[in-house]
Amino acid sequence: MNEKLDQYLNGVFAPYDGVKSVAELKADLLSDLQERFLELKAEGKDDETAFEMTIDSIGDIEQTVQEVANLSRSLERQVLTNFSASNLTKSDFAGVTAHKGKFEASALRGSDFAGADLTGSSFKSSDVREANFDSTNLTDCTLYVSDLTDASFNKSILVRTEFNTSELTRAKFTNVKLIDVKLNMIDLRETIFENCIFNGVDFKYCDLRGMCLDGLTFIGVKFDKTSLNEAKFKGATLRNVSFLAPFTWSTWSKKYYRAIKTISFDGATMDKLTYAALKGMEADLSKVTVI
Amino acid sequence: MYIVRMDESITPNKISSDLLRGHTDTMILKLLLSGDKYGYEISKLIHAISNGEYELKEATMYSSLKRLENDDCITSYWGDETQGGRRRYYRITEKGKELYFENKNSWEYAKRVLDNLL
Repeated sequence: MNEKLDQYLNGVFAPYDGVKSVAELKADLLSDLQERFLELKAEGKDDETAFEMTIDSIGDIEQTVQEVANLSRSLERQVLTNFSASNLTKSDFAGVTAHKGKFEASALRGSDFAGADLTGSSFKSSDVREANFDSTNLTDCTLYVSDLTDASFNKSILVRTEFNTSELTRAKFTNVKLIDVKLNMIDLRETIFENCIFNGVDFKYCDLRGMCLDGLTFIGVKFDKTSLNEAKFKGATLRNVSFLAPFTWSTWSKKYYRAIKTISFDGATMDKLTYAALKGMEADLSKVTVI
Repeated sequence: MYIVRMDESITPNKISSDLLRGHTDTMILKLLLSGDKYGYEISKLIHAISNGEYELKEATMYSSLKRLENDDCITSYWGDETQGGRRRYYRITEKGKELYFENKNSWEYAKRVLDNLL
């Protein structure tokens, strides 16, 4: 057994800890790599060469891991929508006040929460597709492992709201100030953000590849371990934004820096802090204005 | 044992790389037609059968395997190896066999057209 191979993979897969299908992929990959390494050694290669050739045979595993993680999340949700503790489909909750309400394992598809005050409420493992959260107060709410596909968040109040591991495909956030919101482990590539301000928002482990974030405002935002390849921040405003690479393994960081280089910041405005950090990662900041 | 041809090898460019990678699913399905196989076995065989001209990266292979499994074209199970770790074996399904023949026919058609035009 080669310890180094095991450690290397642990580093690569750490951001996806807890996603079962990804753990299986890691185990299968490790088994392949161990066998390849042993065969290379048997051919007479020394430890270092055999190790390098084995790592080289992996290819772009980051993309595969993202695909597998996205796949399993959508599968999990299919199971969850059939398990409803309460059937509240298309219910009318407009304008109600429900502090610390618990909507767990509920069927809430198409429900109307417009203008409601749901402070401190939690939606766990619920089917909230196509729900209407326009002007809803979702302060301190948790929307965990819930399906929010096609949900509408126009002028919603989102303060310290947590959207972990939920489905936000085609969800629309328009005219919203997201303050201290946590968007963790979500595939946001098809989520719509228009005229939004992100203040203190945490995008850990999110997938924002190829996303258009033009003209949006980001203050004190964390893009840690976020997939940002080919994302567009044209004309956006960035103040005190941090971009952290997944790991300190040099090969992994190099890959992250390569991803940073594919981001478009043309016409963006940023403060010295954000500019300096991105410059250090060799981002293309030729058309950026520093404020 | 690996035999890598270093002499007179044609360097793949983007077009040929994309072309080969796009057919990974079909390559894997064909291999499974002749019997269940595990990951490393598949990549080794592809390298050997291509006479060392094509190295299928683990990442590309697992992307294909996961996709094929999600589409019910293959299934997987744990083998009971006695020598160390367990291996995941892949088996082709009826749907997978149909897909293989469909893809093979599409390829024959494309090959014919391109051979005439290029």
